[in-house]
Amino acid sequence: MTKMNNEQVAASAATIRAATDVGGTFTDLVYFVTDHSTGEQRVVTAKANTTPPDFERGVLEVLMRSGIRIGEINSLAHGTTVVINAIAERKGVLTGLITTRGFRDSLEIARGNRPDFFNLHYVKPEPFVPRYLRREVEGRLAQDGSERWPLQLDELPAIIDDFRHEGVQAIAICLLHSYANPAHERAVLEHVRNLWPEVSVVASHQITREWREYERTSTAVLSAYVQPIAERYLTRLSGGMRERGFGGQLYIVQSNCGVDSVEKTSEVPITMVESGPASGFWGAAELGRLIGESNVLALDIGGTTAKCSLIEGGQVKITSDYWIERSRLSAGYPILVPVVDLVEIGQGGGSIAWVDDFGKLHVGPQSAGALPGPAAYGRGGTAATTTDANLALGRIDRDYFCGGEIEADMDSVERALGPIAGRLGLDITEAARGIVRIANNNMVNALKLVSLNRGYDPRDFTLVAFGGGGGMHAAALAAELGMRKVVIPRAAEVFSAWGMLMSDLRRDYFITRLVSLAPDQGAAIRALLREAVDGALTQFSDEGIEPERISFRQYGRLRYENQEHSVEVPIPDGQLHAVAIKDLIDSFHQAYEREYTYRLDAPVEFVGLHVVASAEVGKLEPTRLAVTGRSLEDTRRPNRLVDYATEGIHEAAIYTGELLEPGMSFPGPAVVETKGTTVVVHPGNELTVDDYGNLHITLS
Amino acid sequence: MSQTQNQATVDPITLEIIQSSLQSISDEMFAAFRKTAMSAIIYEVLDMGTAITDASGNLASSGAGIPAFVGVLDKAVQRVLELHERDEITPGDIFATNDPYYGGVTHLNDVVLVMPVFAGERIIAWTANIAHWNDIGGMVPGSISNEATEIFQEGLRLPAVKIFDRHQPIRSVLEIMKANSRLPDFLQGDMWAGVAAVRVGERRILELIDKYSAETFSTALESFMNYGEQVARQALRELPQGLFELEEEQDSGATYKVTVEISNEEFIVDLSDNPDQDAGPNNASRDGTMVAAQMIFMNITGAHESANAGHFRPLRLLTRPGSVFDPRPPAAFGTYYEVEIRIYDLIWRCLAPHFEKLPAGSFASICGTFIGGRHPDTGRHFTIVEPEIGGWGGSVTHDGNCAIFSGFHGDTFNCPAEVAEARYGLYVEQLALGEESGGEGEHRGGKGIVLDYRVRADGCFFTCAYTRNKHKPWALHGGREGSPNYVEVIRRDGHIEQYAVVTALEVNEGDIIRVHTGTGGGYGDPRRRPRDLVREDLRNGYITAEIARTVYELAP
Repeated sequence: MTKMNNEQVAASAATIRAATDVGGTFTDLVYFVTDHSTGEQRVVTAKANTTPPDFERGVLEVLMRSGIRIGEINSLAHGTTVVINAIAERKGVLTGLITTRGFRDSLEIARGNRPDFFNLHYVKPEPFVPRYLRREVEGRLAQDGSERWPLQLDELPAIIDDFRHEGVQAIAICLLHSYANPAHERAVLEHVRNLWPEVSVVASHQITREWREYERTSTAVLSAYVQPIAERYLTRLSGGMRERGFGGQLYIVQSNCGVDSVEKTSEVPITMVESGPASGFWGAAELGRLIGESNVLALDIGGTTAKCSLIEGGQVKITSDYWIERSRLSAGYPILVPVVDLVEIGQGGGSIAWVDDFGKLHVGPQSAGALPGPAAYGRGGTAATTTDANLALGRIDRDYFCGGEIEADMDSVERALGPIAGRLGLDITEAARGIVRIANNNMVNALKLVSLNRGYDPRDFTLVAFGGGGGMHAAALAAELGMRKVVIPRAAEVFSAWGMLMSDLRRDYFITRLVSLAPDQGAAIRALLREAVDGALTQFSDEGIEPERISFRQYGRLRYENQEHSVEVPIPDGQLHAVAIKDLIDSFHQAYEREYTYRLDAPVEFVGLHVVASAEVGKLEPTRLAVTGRSLEDTRRPNRLVDYATEGIHEAAIYTGELLEPGMSFPGPAVVETKGTTVVVHPGNELTVDDYGNLHITLS
Repeated sequence: MSQTQNQATVDPITLEIIQSSLQSISDEMFAAFRKTAMSAIIYEVLDMGTAITDASGNLASSGAGIPAFVGVLDKAVQRVLELHERDEITPGDIFATNDPYYGGVTHLNDVVLVMPVFAGERIIAWTANIAHWNDIGGMVPGSISNEATEIFQEGLRLPAVKIFDRHQPIRSVLEIMKANSRLPDFLQGDMWAGVAAVRVGERRILELIDKYSAETFSTALESFMNYGEQVARQALRELPQGLFELEEEQDSGATYKVTVEISNEEFIVDLSDNPDQDAGPNNASRDGTMVAAQMIFMNITGAHESANAGHFRPLRLLTRPGSVFDPRPPAAFGTYYEVEIRIYDLIWRCLAPHFEKLPAGSFASICGTFIGGRHPDTGRHFTIVEPEIGGWGGSVTHDGNCAIFSGFHGDTFNCPAEVAEARYGLYVEQLALGEESGGEGEHRGGKGIVLDYRVRADGCFFTCAYTRNKHKPWALHGGREGSPNYVEVIRRDGHIEQYAVVTALEVNEGDIIRVHTGTGGGYGDPRRRPRDLVREDLRNGYITAEIARTVYELAP
């Protein structure tokens, strides 16, 4: 009894917000304890092995291991790769598909493209539903949603019987023009539920209201394919948490970098497809708000991949043009769900360097992973990785490798770099520089894809770099792109978790609807908006969220008549009179010209809406770092020689990151070391520490 | 370490970084072009390409898009250089050509824009793009007619002329271009998209030169082409050597002949012994013939990364002036693409029995389909100009792909039915895999498609020119040949007409235009196909019970 009371006291004296992230190798836990009396904030991290296929075990394990009292957690944000794993490993359930007469092969026909176009042995991605489980129903809508001929459901019982007989566990429904009018899909959905109440079933309009039948079919099919697995996972996770005394709020991280409830996520789990990777970008936008940087290029460098995204005016870009397994070599599969507009490349600390038959040096996309890991781990890795090159150049401290937890095996590093140097006709140092330069160049190209290729000049942006490898490369990348400022967040290696804890409950609605932009069409657009907003309000209120807590942002998707790609422009509140329509068109011309360098004297049309609904659900309150008056001198370690690749070798000042305090500043060449990251400060750079402990690097 | 190395000592890493930047610049040009183009055939079908060449017009890198456009743009730059005095070319200029007699390579609808990049007074590179413009004038809407007998009937000729002078559009030229098109707004929009793309490329190259110096940039280009050549030569040494020959009768009744001679040093394609140039539009320019040869050469010796001028150095092409593969003015080129894909398929077929890398024959036609008329909902004129997808042949390791664009196309996308119905005012009644038999084999050919367009307004037109109609996709090593490409027009009264080639056929409300594309050829004896796969094919409806029993000899 007494003990209980103590716990209650402890609980009320502090707020604990936790985030767990299930990665390929490890399941991470980060929690922030905010002490109400002192205002101090502590960050605690823990790790456990990821436990496929029952991923929830790893989550529960890491919670137990961390020593945290589960009952004291106020809220837990959870990022999981359960959906993307089920798809990548083809471990979903046997799925049946119901389409409009004449379109069952849409899934197999796809779009007919062949990105690896000189390869005559290209193999088209295999459809997730074999042809014998793709069935059709009679009935047809036109593109405006009107009915051409009525839906016939008389064949449905036989189809469902077949599906049962074949062992189908989930059914996807996608009918033509359901984005304009979901009535036929709803009827089929209802009928399937009546005929077979236990089966998992989803209709395309429940996920997306955008046109393009192949993309929508693929979306519905992939959603059905993972639905039973995701549902089971979420049920076990929330059940397991409750059994262990969890009474707080459990939120699932979504691909649009918002969070959502377990119930809502279970309905359409495909929205979790990029759960996790998105959070760092949300974090970068939040951090930008905190420190007054609204235009941010955000870069997350991990062990095997680097991801980047562009944030403009404080807003993370969300698109529904998302494909999995798409590359220069494969067409991939589309999923029309709101996903952070990010580019991911196989480039991280563990990326392997290699020389091809023609003497060209490459880095990645193969990675040494956690096992055997870089040669420096001394676990039998014989391939040289970017991390090994960084060690060889003294950029990473060989005596404080992985926060001192691993003794860097420098003999292995030399043995691994030797053959590469030999093939290139260079010495080992030059080869290591080459690896770092090539790795940097690969990341520069990824950053260009999200900026220059989309019409943005990186020089107008601040680079926010995080993940274990962010600080190592950021200053060099910024210099390459002509950017003037880099910010490395405090606790950069767990920054994604911070982002999860800063997220709102957020939903993105994309709706295709062609409306002319004649001066008198304001009412039609307003009505469409009303429809989207009402739908969102209903969804939120079903979950007990009051309307006044919800904020909306609304965008029109406009284009020149006959173009394909639309540009999003904000729609102002209030009546859309002729003047407002004209303003809308003007802002389209402006946005278009900024992105594409010219404007046309051509009619503009409205092709749809993007509505963002969000509600705050209790974010982490960022706190300022205490200033103890420690001198900069007290944060230093012995100088060492660091090779800055193209800038040569310099004697660098070395600082202990954990000891740095707000207001401190120093010039490069320098290196800041923490347990989790290394920040390389180049000659000519100036570093300052802000009130929150973030490192700001200004380039000359 | 300073960036003051001279040409001889530029380190390999810097060269590599410049080379990969070239690729990313070509891709950025491609992205800019695609996003801003006005015509579906550009932004959705991606009938377009982008490239960078060196100062003398040697291909350095190319963007995504379609392989048939990779080797086109260098030839246009070379022609512009031939036709202009050096002092006529100034920074900010843009030149246009669409004429195969002036470096345009393909047909008048494909307009190439090229822009010089200057380092000081000196041209250091060119940026270029090509795209299919919907209507460039000529005797029919869409400009391509099977009836044309002279290039003059196929639209406005842009003979490698300047259209922008020192960054400024030359208004008079632009007005001439617009006045010659039935769709001047499209023409204007597509032109500006192309202009934006070459300008983005120019800007990025200038940034590279600024950073690394013009000398280093040129060294990187040169070493990149040497790399391409190395890749090609290494692959060449691993090919079967000798003399390979093939004669093949065409749907038109003509016979095409090819000889390919492969040695350690050269890959010689000899097409000299071929018919005189066609009186209609079924001609391929010599440059176009070269593109077909380059494509098959890339297919067997390389990958995208090395597709530059160096890679093509071991390739030699022999043609006869005045022949269908090297015609003289004023021969027409409207359906050049069916001729070019026939050459491509001919060389492929000639080598396939000896090269494991080559699958059996595919539907191998662009199946160019043109439908136009008045949109019943908007009243505006619409034109569909689209290639079709079809079946590919089986290979040594796999069944052929179903429903994929021909070897001429690459990252090309078909038009979704939902978009087509809104945009064109037709109904798409079905888009399904074809039901015809053919292509049986140990590895079977992939299925073609059946695509129904139901016309919603009177007075629309339909034009097509499909090959592989009479002569079906060919098989390999005991497989069965595939099925033909053709179109059925099903009139409202139920009467059915069948076409492979037709020009401006009138179609009216309620008529159905039903496109059938071929199943690819089979590879290997069908009786050797594993029984469980035959049963699976049967279950999936890829084959009938009859075929399973008679061709695959599946025991009941």
